[in-house]
Amino acid sequence: MKDRYELTVDYVRYLNDAGEPLDELPALSADADRLLDAYRNMVLARTLDQKIIALQRTGKCGTYPSVLGHEVIGTAIGQCMERHDVFVPYYRDQATQLLRGVPMVNMLLYWGGDERGSAGWELCPQDLPISVPIATQCCHAVGIASAMRIRDEKRAVVVTLGDGATSKGDFLESVNLAGAWHLPVVFVVANNQWAISTPRGLQTGSETIAQKAVSGGLPGHIVDGNDYFAVSEAVEHALERAHGGKGATVIEAVTYRLGDHTTADDATRYRSADELRSAWDKDGIKRLQSYLHRAGHWDADKEKELQAHCRDKVDKAVHVYLEKAPEPPVAMVDYLFETLPAALAGQRERLARKVEGVRS
Amino acid sequence: MNASAENAIRHGEGAPVAHKVTLVEAVNLALAREMANDDSVVVLGEDIATNGGVFRATVGLKERFGYKRVMDTPLAENLIAGTAVGMATQGLKPVAEFQFMGFIYAGCEQIISHAARMRNRTRGRLHCPLVYRAPFAGGIHAPEHHSESTEALFAHVPGLRVVIPSSPQRAYGLLLAAIRNPDPVIFLEPKRIYRAVTQTVMDNGEALPLDTCFTLREGDDITLISWGASIMETLQAADRLAEQGVSAEVIDVATISPLDRETLLCSVAKTGRAVIVHEACRNGGVGAEVAASIAEGAFLDLQAPVVRVTGYDTVMPYYRNEQHYLPQVDDIVAAVEQVIAL
Amino acid sequence: MRNFKLPDLGEGLPEAEIVEWHVKVGDTVEVDQVLVSVETAKAIVEVPSPEAGIIARLFGEAGDIIHTGEPLLAFEGEGDDSGTVVGELKSSQARDGQGEADSFIIGAAPSSKRARANRATPGVRALAERLGISLENIKGSGPGGLITNDDVHRQASHQKQLGEAEALRGPRRTMAKNMALSHAQVVPVSIFEDADIHDWEKGTDITMRLVQGMARACEASPALNCWFDGDNLSRRLLDEVHIGIAVDTPDGLFVPVLRDVNHRSMEDLRQGLENLREAVATRKIPPREMQGATITLSNFGTMTGQYANPVVSPPQVAIVGAGKIRDKVVPHKGKPAVRRIMPLSVTFDHRAATGGEAARFMAALVEALGVDSNG
Repeated sequence: MKDRYELTVDYVRYLNDAGEPLDELPALSADADRLLDAYRNMVLARTLDQKIIALQRTGKCGTYPSVLGHEVIGTAIGQCMERHDVFVPYYRDQATQLLRGVPMVNMLLYWGGDERGSAGWELCPQDLPISVPIATQCCHAVGIASAMRIRDEKRAVVVTLGDGATSKGDFLESVNLAGAWHLPVVFVVANNQWAISTPRGLQTGSETIAQKAVSGGLPGHIVDGNDYFAVSEAVEHALERAHGGKGATVIEAVTYRLGDHTTADDATRYRSADELRSAWDKDGIKRLQSYLHRAGHWDADKEKELQAHCRDKVDKAVHVYLEKAPEPPVAMVDYLFETLPAALAGQRERLARKVEGVRS
Repeated sequence: MNASAENAIRHGEGAPVAHKVTLVEAVNLALAREMANDDSVVVLGEDIATNGGVFRATVGLKERFGYKRVMDTPLAENLIAGTAVGMATQGLKPVAEFQFMGFIYAGCEQIISHAARMRNRTRGRLHCPLVYRAPFAGGIHAPEHHSESTEALFAHVPGLRVVIPSSPQRAYGLLLAAIRNPDPVIFLEPKRIYRAVTQTVMDNGEALPLDTCFTLREGDDITLISWGASIMETLQAADRLAEQGVSAEVIDVATISPLDRETLLCSVAKTGRAVIVHEACRNGGVGAEVAASIAEGAFLDLQAPVVRVTGYDTVMPYYRNEQHYLPQVDDIVAAVEQVIAL
Repeated sequence: MRNFKLPDLGEGLPEAEIVEWHVKVGDTVEVDQVLVSVETAKAIVEVPSPEAGIIARLFGEAGDIIHTGEPLLAFEGEGDDSGTVVGELKSSQARDGQGEADSFIIGAAPSSKRARANRATPGVRALAERLGISLENIKGSGPGGLITNDDVHRQASHQKQLGEAEALRGPRRTMAKNMALSHAQVVPVSIFEDADIHDWEKGTDITMRLVQGMARACEASPALNCWFDGDNLSRRLLDEVHIGIAVDTPDGLFVPVLRDVNHRSMEDLRQGLENLREAVATRKIPPREMQGATITLSNFGTMTGQYANPVVSPPQVAIVGAGKIRDKVVPHKGKPAVRRIMPLSVTFDHRAATGGEAARFMAALVEALGVDSNG
């Protein structure tokens, strides 16, 4: 046993707030297509986000958590993952889900209160649905990673969670198991400074979240969550480790929750307008855009075209969503078990007789 | 564990062999049988691999199937429950053990919010073919928290099956069915009768049906309905009643949820009287669901009110007063006499 | 191997040094026999054996320190695996005495399912009774097969048009059901013979003679006095002969059982038969009295008829039919003579008995009947 244990947690960023390189950029910066794909996905995610909030305000959608401020983290994860890896989200991962191939209509259905939203994900059939009970998805992630390990598969799991979730036992227990069983899993903590109204400082006395990795014997890294290059490099490296059988990693991506917790929340009750304004200065989409402009890959026309394209794409999806009739009431019973037990047959019958507006 | 069962498990005999086994040995037999039949079945829990489980329910499995399929987990029930969910969505069939039902509560969020709902909330895209096993109920002079009987909590959760065997044969057959079932099953093993009875069980991989009650004894005068270890007292009561000229039909509910109301109603149609026996506390116990179902479905056949013989609405007392809590044969006979007199 | 751990030697002494072993591996020791001398901080102590057994292993040599609770030695035998981590789990007492296969019905017993079939509210039952309608024949059109008032009215008008269909009740109903059951299962073969009863005394009790004759025949051919299980293909040869005696009454066919015919005295049997006759006549016969027959006698000869192939009633395998006693011209001691004859029929279930066994039975019966009253 060592006499002394020292832990170092690096903080990595490559671009300043204005999008100017601080240091030599990682190799992926040379791939212009990749950067442009990333940018387009971020803008699409934000466009969709604004639209869903509008739907909610007009009563056409249920409570919804905005992705504002998480577009960079989400996009970086989505790009780095292999198709056959498994993504385990919490509920602010719209940007990743778009890249994973979850159709926008599905996302609208889910937040619109229709279980079919989580069904039929043909491009990522093993990805888990949104997780509402905080941090519980961490246990699922290590379960999935265990299955991969048992079967000797060269696949990995990426699980996301917020800063609040890191206080819960599920997270710590999962980090612990990931270390004990040497599992191919990457924990990406999107530290957006707020767990509803609880600021990061009240969430834990730990100086960083990444250092909680040491409790399970895992490496922990901090990156600027609004820095596309920093996040991409960290996730890429962690996935390499996982795919290579070298075990798990914890990445803390530091960002800011630019929106309310959900459409039912009013963040002005607990945080200052000044703080929010200075956070917008650090916005990751603006940062990458500046970089792309400077690198000659982007211009105002392209921007206009992209915005129109995203609006159009989103509008089309919204249209399909609004036109979709709700499932019949028997759907409540039909997906509880593979085959309907006799005990439920009577209840299904009653539901089958239900016609909208007529109570049986 | 007796030598022949141990031998079969260690050396994986292919042809079906009859074994004289206790209930916990039957659990072991079923686990070994299904792990041999189906590579996707894995077992996890605390102290289950090297130690073979604190009640020896998983003894011999690690030696036979290896550490990748028989996993000792860290001490974290919530993690065990949630890890099983993740594994199951990947097509494994995990059988996760909670060392005692008293420690299952930490895993409730994962069981109720996730395992029970995964199929429903993804409209079948993902589902959880898993089994959560736990020794449950009291009567073994254990320290506190080791005698819980809260099957009603889980019976109240849609999407979960709750199964309770009461004999070695039924433990073998029902556990096989539970493992093969594509949806989550909570399999509660009454530890008071883990070793109390030996039966000859054919290790032939034949499952018994879930969602069905079992008629253990036929009778015409009254229907006795029970499950778990209380079946022992119920059968003894039936014997005593037979001497008094009262012929009791004894039904083992076995699958607490979803409940096989049809079998219960058929029996009450014949006898016109019912007494329900369960160890769990009275208020909100599964006996209430059975009684309500009988009132709804067989009111026209009843000659007397449906009576429940249950544990008290208190915490299970410690060792010293344990026997005052559990329904005794006398209690059951007295309830029957009261009902017959009407 | 069962470990014996160093017990607390008093006053919380944590350890002791082995001074001298008094046993070696392979020794058989008795309870309290001194195993070893150990030295504590205070004194030299002798450690007695807690049980009788054979020493399998010694942990340590003279001079070694052993701590309280550590294994001192091991006895041969089963390990001390308590098989639990808390409390105590009671084991089954006689492991070999138990161990039978479990038996239970999956779901409801057939009798329960039948009970559930007929369902009607008290009001509907009353209506049916008023109209003279039996609920048994009505298929309920209500929820769950419930019989409604409409169903009853429909049945009533149906009956009015076609005339009263008499629903079979009681013994006639039972007869219909039992005969159908028998037909479905039994493979009947009949054998016919005549018994020469010319030399009987006047006033002989015919039924008594038949009963006794059957007892003799059962002794001679036990294969016809048994219970046969067609499903499991097994039979139970029975020691006692319980004869079901078919009695025809205005209310229908009854078959009370005269028990233990082969072990009872004549007087006793006679009385028993009288009791049975009376009980049947007054319809005061409990159902138990009609169960348990091992073979049946159908004395249809009280009316008319010579031979018949009466119906075997499972699980029995045989039935004897006695026809009307009559005069017949038969060869007797080489010359034609008019003799008093009782025609006999024996039907047996060929699944359970052979023709030879039946023939032997018949031969013994004929012989027993042919003997005069005092024989």
